[in-house]
Amino acid sequence: MLLIHCPYCKESRDQSEFSPAGEAFIARPKNPEGISDEEWADYVFYRTNHKGNHWEQWVHANGCRKYFLVERSTISHQILQVAPFGARNNETEL
Amino acid sequence: MRLAQHSSHQVDYSKSLNFIFNNKRYKGYEGDTLASALLANDSFLFARSFKYGRKRGLMAAGVEEPNALVSLEIGGRYTPNLKATEITLYDGLSAVSASNPNAFDMRAFIKPLHRFMPAGFYYKTFIKQKVWAKVEDSIRAFSGFSKAPTEEDVDVYDHIFHHAEVVVIGGGAAGISAALEVLNNSEKERVILVDERSQLGGELFNEFSSDEAAMTWHKDSVNRLLSFSNKDSERFTLLTQSTAYAWHDQNFIEVLETITTAESLTSSESQKARKIVHRIRAKEVILATGAHERPMLFEANDLTNIMLSQSVRRYLHEYGVISGKKVVIYGNNDSIYSTAKDLHVNDIECIVVDVRSSEKPIEIISELKDSGVKVLQGYSIVKALGSHRVKGVEIKQTMLQGNSWQVFGDTETLSCDLLATSGGFNPVVHLDCHNGAKTYFDEVSQSFLPQQDRDNREVCGAVAGAGAWQDAIIDAKNKAQFTLNALGVVSKLTQEILSENYSNFFNVSQFFTPKEILNMPKVFLDLQNDVTTLDVALSIREGYRSIEHIKRYTAMGFGTDQGKTGNINGIAVAAELLEIPMSEVGTTTFRPAYTGVDFGAMAGREIGDFFDPQRYTTIHDSHVASGAEFEVVGQWYRPWYYPKTGENMHQAVHRECLAARTSLGMMDASTLGKIDVQGSDAREFLSRVYTNAWMKLAPGSCRYGLMCNEKGMIIDDGVSACINNNHFIMTTTTGGAASVYSALEMWLQTEWSDLDVHLNSVTDQYSTVAVVGPNARKLMKLLCQDVDFERENFKFMQWRQGTVCGVDARIMRISFSGELAYEINVEANYGRYIWDQVAITGEQWNITPYGTESMHVLRAEKGYIIVGQDTDGSMTPMDVNMSWILAKDKSFSYVGRRSFSISALCTEDRLQLVGLMTKDSSTVLPEGANAIDNKGKSIGYVTSSYFSPILNRSIAMAQIKGGLSKIGETVLVKIVQKKQGLKEIPCEISSSVFYDIEGEKVDGND
Ligand SMILES: [Zn+2]
Repeated sequence: MLLIHCPYCKESRDQSEFSPAGEAFIARPKNPEGISDEEWADYVFYRTNHKGNHWEQWVHANGCRKYFLVERSTISHQILQVAPFGARNNETEL
Repeated sequence: MRLAQHSSHQVDYSKSLNFIFNNKRYKGYEGDTLASALLANDSFLFARSFKYGRKRGLMAAGVEEPNALVSLEIGGRYTPNLKATEITLYDGLSAVSASNPNAFDMRAFIKPLHRFMPAGFYYKTFIKQKVWAKVEDSIRAFSGFSKAPTEEDVDVYDHIFHHAEVVVIGGGAAGISAALEVLNNSEKERVILVDERSQLGGELFNEFSSDEAAMTWHKDSVNRLLSFSNKDSERFTLLTQSTAYAWHDQNFIEVLETITTAESLTSSESQKARKIVHRIRAKEVILATGAHERPMLFEANDLTNIMLSQSVRRYLHEYGVISGKKVVIYGNNDSIYSTAKDLHVNDIECIVVDVRSSEKPIEIISELKDSGVKVLQGYSIVKALGSHRVKGVEIKQTMLQGNSWQVFGDTETLSCDLLATSGGFNPVVHLDCHNGAKTYFDEVSQSFLPQQDRDNREVCGAVAGAGAWQDAIIDAKNKAQFTLNALGVVSKLTQEILSENYSNFFNVSQFFTPKEILNMPKVFLDLQNDVTTLDVALSIREGYRSIEHIKRYTAMGFGTDQGKTGNINGIAVAAELLEIPMSEVGTTTFRPAYTGVDFGAMAGREIGDFFDPQRYTTIHDSHVASGAEFEVVGQWYRPWYYPKTGENMHQAVHRECLAARTSLGMMDASTLGKIDVQGSDAREFLSRVYTNAWMKLAPGSCRYGLMCNEKGMIIDDGVSACINNNHFIMTTTTGGAASVYSALEMWLQTEWSDLDVHLNSVTDQYSTVAVVGPNARKLMKLLCQDVDFERENFKFMQWRQGTVCGVDARIMRISFSGELAYEINVEANYGRYIWDQVAITGEQWNITPYGTESMHVLRAEKGYIIVGQDTDGSMTPMDVNMSWILAKDKSFSYVGRRSFSISALCTEDRLQLVGLMTKDSSTVLPEGANAIDNKGKSIGYVTSSYFSPILNRSIAMAQIKGGLSKIGETVLVKIVQKKQGLKEIPCEISSSVFYDIEGEKVDGND
């Protein structure tokens, strides 16, 4: 059970308040009709399943309902940092 | 037997207790465990073994015990598979062995077959031969475990959450010392000390008779600890009879506390929790979990009264109990001499057999020899004698040559009635490994020690390799200093010096695994699962190399004791046979839970009404008063049907459906999910998440929408109303409300944060009463005067603001039945009032409330899908024949659209939604039944099936491969009927719209 710091509520709360929402920075293609089936499938289905420090999305589902970014080690489960999405979040560099 | 002159720290001889074990009455004392009390009564037999039905007794005195599994109490208090060594005695206790050792045992007959039952026996014999299903029940009945409970648990269980700066796990010398050091050197840091035994002290009790200093230190230290909790209960929490069974990420520790009082276990009134799960979030963890002794290996090492040496000492010191008069003590380390000394002091005859040859004289050995104790050095036990209880041992001379043990010379025999063995000590690294730590093999102590440096945790005492109690105390103090330093409480460390013996864990010799012994039969490694050295050898011959595979092939360590005594010996045997070092073999993975956890304790109070939230509409009481039957839909209790006196479900649904079709019905539709969508981009947002067009929907109008995910699969549907250009109310399915809301928020927050849209769930804010049937307009005119209900002025798929019986309402003219229908939405608390007014005013048209079952029939007659019933997450809009709802000309590629053109979603033979009409109109197909082709292969299945009262025949919807191009064809549906057995029902594939195909009913009567 993780202890997760919500960057909006500014509190560390129990994992049971949150839901994971997949790998971060998977941007929806700007022109889906203009890309190949393979490129579309890459966006819809394929994830890196990275071993090591990994950016993912979580939502404070039973709290402020905000989605935010979490950098977490998939080996030790240690959370290295959390961050809110930027205004144009897909391009956010962290 | 119990020693006559014994003063115990643990047992109160003034309080005697009665208990029943295996249908016999016994007496014990307060402070006894079930195991110690039975040993005191000379009752040694506890179990029949798992595979061979061998009689087994106690091997240990604590959590590591593999044999003495019992079930406690009966009826609603029945608890299976507890260890007798961990059950604190109380007056009136009743228990039976998990496998009754005295009962007639079938396995006695197959006993001569022992040699035919090696590892993999069951698999090779039964599963490979495909007869497992036939024999499984009878084989499982052999197994040495208790039956599962059959009655509801009458006890109460609790969960308690804690936060602490420091958690110390283990209350032996090291744990006490560490907790004290933290408390003494800090001011407000909260400390929790957890120990599985009923009294603090751990193995320290074993030193009491021989070491006055140990006794004094224990008394002083425990008093000082308790003074902290007396002074300030916030600062120090002591949890005894509490096992830390799991250590999760970020120092989240789960502890199971057993409350054992006669009152809590025998009184029927008691509401005191029987067990409590403590969930602790700690900043720093100090592990002082100690070590478990491992047994020596020899033939027939599983006979009754062969016990671990430290356990013999523990029974002696804590309970004044010894289970023999003539004891052989056998081992490979110095601890066996302490056992001999303790027994000798109590006038018990003993002989010591040490595999090690004498190198340098040790004080304790000469002391024992001088007092007349026979000590044989350089000897090993090769076989235990006796049929059930040990009667003697065969010994041979032994020598370590290079790296391998040699056994030689003539066999001699020693007689005994108790055999105590010690093969060294296994540090209890389990918890540390739960949390990702690795172990390393330490040659000096011949054991796997915990990884040295980890953040936020220290290890001290025996688990870290400290053998003597004095060293454990100093080690713990030093480690506690590191913890205080990590907490920022102290900056200067004051480390004390350890004795030079620190890392020398009782001077253990190399594992005694000579091939002569490993090749003997019945050298048991895992007593609970009957795994022998020959099983490990077989697994290696069959090609297994990894210890994880050997474990799974032999089932070594799979019992309820998780191999606490046997696993490391098994690793040593594998190392010997594979001819590689122990460190290369490594350990198997330690996973939670360290010991068994009761399901009741896991559930805590979250049972019955508290298992899951129950949601009721504000109209619920009226449904109850009307005698409705309910069904649970995504936590909501929805009326299912409203039976009148004497009616069954079928009759009630028949009446309800006809009322809605011919006159007037009413329904509580409040549970549908409602999401308020506001903002200048609300319209654009709906266009992106629904497949159809929303840009031109005028205020005052509604539209049905279908929602897909990016994979192109249908996830939800519902009607949304345009309130104004910046405001829509979206409805979702009852069960899908939360996940749809969450998906929409995700799009807005992570992908389209440039859209000005705000969402809010308003499901609970509105009550909705649907008025359905050809007479609906007449009724609405009576209920609401400020809305024009004329059909040309208030059309299908429009909504109006009005006043219904004095209450502000949004009235939507939408229909899930094909009939003229209005949904009256009011502020939630007026729901019951409006429901009652509708019912009273509608009496003249015989208005009939109907539930979800009739709703399903009515919608199926019209071919309307239910997402989640007619679709299963792999259906596209094309698959359900709804291509008409896919907008072609939206500027934005809405969610899911791109996937529709992926080749796999465009093939002809996809499952497609069609209607099914049984040739015999009275046969109602069961939902889920398979449609088959002429070869008997499944080509789809029935998703919805009902008897339609208005059509007076059965109707069904089904997913059939390529079904849309097979309309008019006949297909067989395979069903099982109670009397006739398997039957194939011929059906015609049809359109899924069965009633009012032209849609003429939607305007109703004027
Ligand atoms: Zn939050």
